[in-house]
Amino acid sequence: MNAWDVTGQVLAVLGSLVVLTAALGVIRFPDAYTRISAVGTAGGAGIVLVVLGALLTDPSAFDAVKVLAVIVLQLATSAVGSMAIARAARLTRTPMVAIYDQLATTDDVDQPEGRPRTPERGSAP
Amino acid sequence: MIGLDIALGLLMLAGLASTYRMIAGPTEADRVIAADLLLFAIVGIVALAGVRMASTATFDIVLVASLVGFLGALSLARALTRGAR
Repeated sequence: MNAWDVTGQVLAVLGSLVVLTAALGVIRFPDAYTRISAVGTAGGAGIVLVVLGALLTDPSAFDAVKVLAVIVLQLATSAVGSMAIARAARLTRTPMVAIYDQLATTDDVDQPEGRPRTPERGSAP
Repeated sequence: MIGLDIALGLLMLAGLASTYRMIAGPTEADRVIAADLLLFAIVGIVALAGVRMASTATFDIVLVASLVGFLGALSLARALTRGAR
């Protein structure tokens, strides 16, 4: 039970708390966009902390190289994956619970009575 | 090693919560998001369980799993839009 061991276990518990916070957000948040924001924020930091804690509990040079690669790749790719999922959700018109939608176009707004949402081909303007 | 056990329990709770959202999620996007979080929880569980069981190949598995997880997230995002960009 030396200092590396204690530091590694503290980091592992911190990282798993970050992942558990993301899971709490996935359970409790109202729509898909807030949920993906919770997962994207916590995914990178949580995995990095957990893997770093696992390394410090049992340190070795070979594992340090692998953990360095995991940390760099995870920090570089987790945000890209989350943004791709969020963009796909927006493209498939997943319902949003928000005051207003900053990405909305005129197709998304309810038109007044008597006007179709998208004009028919050949119809008078 | 008590800290590693606590961390394993917390990650299992996170995996259970994301599994619930994957089953109950009202839209397809919620299920994709739950799959992303479930992968993060399982990667953490593999890393901690490898240290707990004094396994030597653990960090290789974690490295491959994080790369495949990125590809999986992109593939699920593409599958969500049925191939449209």
